[in-house]
Amino acid sequence: MPSLKLTLGPLFFHWPADRLSTFYNRVADEAPVDRVHVGEVVCGKRMPFSDPAWPDIIERLERGGKEVVLSTLAAPATVRERRAVEELCADGRLVEINDITALPARSGRPFVTGPFVNVYNAATASFLVRHGARTICPPVELSLATIGAIAAGCAEAEFELFTFGRLPLALSGRCYHARLHGLHKDSCQFTCELDPDGLAVDTIDGQKFLAINGVQTLSAQVHAVVLDPAEFAARGVRRLRLSPHGCDMVEVARTYRELVERRVEPTEARFLLSCLDLPGPMVDGYARGEAGSRPPVAV
Amino acid sequence: MAAGNEEVCLPASVRRLLPPFAAAPFGPLLTLSLRSLARRRPSLFDRLGEHSTARFLIDPTDLSFAFNVVPDGVSAVVRVTGKSGSAPCDVVIRGPLLTLLGVLDGTLDGDALFFHRAISVNGKTEAVVALRNAIEDAELRPSDLLGLRGALARVADAGILGGLSAARHLAADAPVARARQA
Amino acid sequence: MSGRIELVCPAGTPATLRAAVLAGADAVYCGFRDETNARNFPGLNFSPQEMAEGIRFAHGNGSKVLVAINTFARAESTDLWRKAADTAAACGADAVIAADIAVLDHMASSHPGTRLHLSVQAAAATPEAIGFYAKSFGVRRVVLPRVLSVQEIAALNRAIDVETEAFVFGGLCVMMEGRCHLSSYATGKSPNLNGVCSPPEAVSYVEDAEGTTARLAGFTIDRFAAGEPAGYPTLCKGRFTAGDKTGYLFEDPVSLNAGSMIVALKDAGVTALKIEGRQRGKGYVTEVVRAFRRAVDAAENGGDPVEIDGIVASLSEGGRQTTGAYRKTWR
Repeated sequence: MPSLKLTLGPLFFHWPADRLSTFYNRVADEAPVDRVHVGEVVCGKRMPFSDPAWPDIIERLERGGKEVVLSTLAAPATVRERRAVEELCADGRLVEINDITALPARSGRPFVTGPFVNVYNAATASFLVRHGARTICPPVELSLATIGAIAAGCAEAEFELFTFGRLPLALSGRCYHARLHGLHKDSCQFTCELDPDGLAVDTIDGQKFLAINGVQTLSAQVHAVVLDPAEFAARGVRRLRLSPHGCDMVEVARTYRELVERRVEPTEARFLLSCLDLPGPMVDGYARGEAGSRPPVAV
Repeated sequence: MAAGNEEVCLPASVRRLLPPFAAAPFGPLLTLSLRSLARRRPSLFDRLGEHSTARFLIDPTDLSFAFNVVPDGVSAVVRVTGKSGSAPCDVVIRGPLLTLLGVLDGTLDGDALFFHRAISVNGKTEAVVALRNAIEDAELRPSDLLGLRGALARVADAGILGGLSAARHLAADAPVARARQA
Repeated sequence: MSGRIELVCPAGTPATLRAAVLAGADAVYCGFRDETNARNFPGLNFSPQEMAEGIRFAHGNGSKVLVAINTFARAESTDLWRKAADTAAACGADAVIAADIAVLDHMASSHPGTRLHLSVQAAAATPEAIGFYAKSFGVRRVVLPRVLSVQEIAALNRAIDVETEAFVFGGLCVMMEGRCHLSSYATGKSPNLNGVCSPPEAVSYVEDAEGTTARLAGFTIDRFAAGEPAGYPTLCKGRFTAGDKTGYLFEDPVSLNAGSMIVALKDAGVTALKIEGRQRGKGYVTEVVRAFRRAVDAAENGGDPVEIDGIVASLSEGGRQTTGAYRKTWR
């Protein structure tokens, strides 16, 4: 059985530059992950704040032995955002594309496709491989069985499962943080910075349901797929993606490392995760082909 | 939109002409009509898919009885039942008779009615949506349900649709008339 | 781009297709009765035979038929989508509307003679993305995501050399289409995979003394006072609580009416205007298509925007209306 690799996905939230540095420095030194994604994915307006922090973070991560991937915007719109995508695509490092906009600029050189690119079948995966896709992280709503079917029909790509974190469920042209605070997107005052894991959205009956993060909508619950490593491998999954949150991500990475190295059982790993300061209860319905909001089946 | 405020009830004068539940011989007649429609236009029932075996309780609020319908093509069954849902059913569709008939003959917009409470719907929403879409496409005339053809069909359609339209006006005017009296 | 604006209208059933054609649609779009199209509701859509007959009827009356095969082909049964594309081509469809690369690739290689339109589900909003689809698959028209302003559409049209089609009326997705998993998160069924959003089988209405509660797979989406019309619980149009505020967080229960923007959209280079609503009845479709036919004709004849606005202003979906993202203040 080939060993499962761990990836720290791109951060979806708007953290101040000093928090970014502190977080990624610790990841570089302590988190047992093989690959780390950096860069803004959700909102181009945040880039002027985080851009100055990235060069040092990248250098530090690479010194710590991590493979760095430059993630690009999921919904580039303005001339400035499109140029930023194009510039990142020119980099010699591995790049993650999160919108077809990036494809012409990156075609012919290796890239990762993120969960915002609609890879639902092997034909699409193979098409992207011909353009340079190496790692494919399919949309979050796909089940492990379906990912297995895609992987079976596209042996050339390495498949990565969105394994841990609030699920990125939707993107909009409208900023919900701005709307909530009675502001316009163009003068949003960056209120999304107030919520480092996104802002919880409950139903009017008080059920935990969703979370907003600027133009992005996430699940309130934390998707956490915790299985025997053989089950991931049987579905063609070679990498597990952990999505950064405000909880102790080094501990999350350690738990998954122990899981994939069979040093803890899945039930124990799930217990360890539940002890962390997660932003919501754990769910894993998508992996089983059910509604994403379904909690794990009790073992 | 056509939906407007069409929540009108049968005038008492018309209601008095209808038989009470016990005297209604409608069940077998409507069953025959529905099965004959299924033989003539099978595609109409194909559209219902898995929902053709669902049990629909159609309950005209201004009548003393209701209809239990399983629209299963040539095996369709219509039973006339009492109000208190003794027989099990998957869907209950409740509304004034004229509104229900308006959906059937396409003069009223089913969308607006189903989801805006002129007609109340309980139970399997997907079966209701399937039924509504099947009816939308069917372009039913009263003669289709009665299994009539040719000149007789034209006479029946003109008579029944004309009658319906008149009854609807009568019913719609009734509140206005009452208001004037007050 | 010059030429007369094309009016593209929805049809969920053969009867609605005929109604739309007779009401003045230049083109009708519709789909097969399965998961290959994005309006896969019970009892809706066309069998292959109905599609062939519908296309004959439309062609006989001078209208086109665009076949939507615009969900994402499931990995386990991708051939179902390819077969739908083959059937559409065999029926003589004037174009196939697709979003999935597997479907686009199949169309380009197996049916190069059939026009390809890029579905809104592909969410292609930049010259780079649109150019990529045009170059790779010969896409001739792109249906624009409903997040662009008129100014952005004009700039986009100057940067691309394919036609654009813009929504003008009907339901309004507040999320980027093709990139929204809210429905599958709650219900297990999604637009991308199953062609449904907030599917009817997950809907329940619970009545109590306070009124009616509309739920979707157990999640409360909205509550209506007794006597108040109970709307359909579409997830993103519900009422929620965030921070200390409760309300229509994502979008008010409004629908799109960009009738007042027809002239502006034409000036922005848009080729075709699209009316949403394949799930709507023929009475509704007839009324909306007739009004937009008059409005588009008035716009083509140099009519005054205020007068054109008047033609379509009377249309309502039983709720409030918005011009959506076409005006930048929407964001």
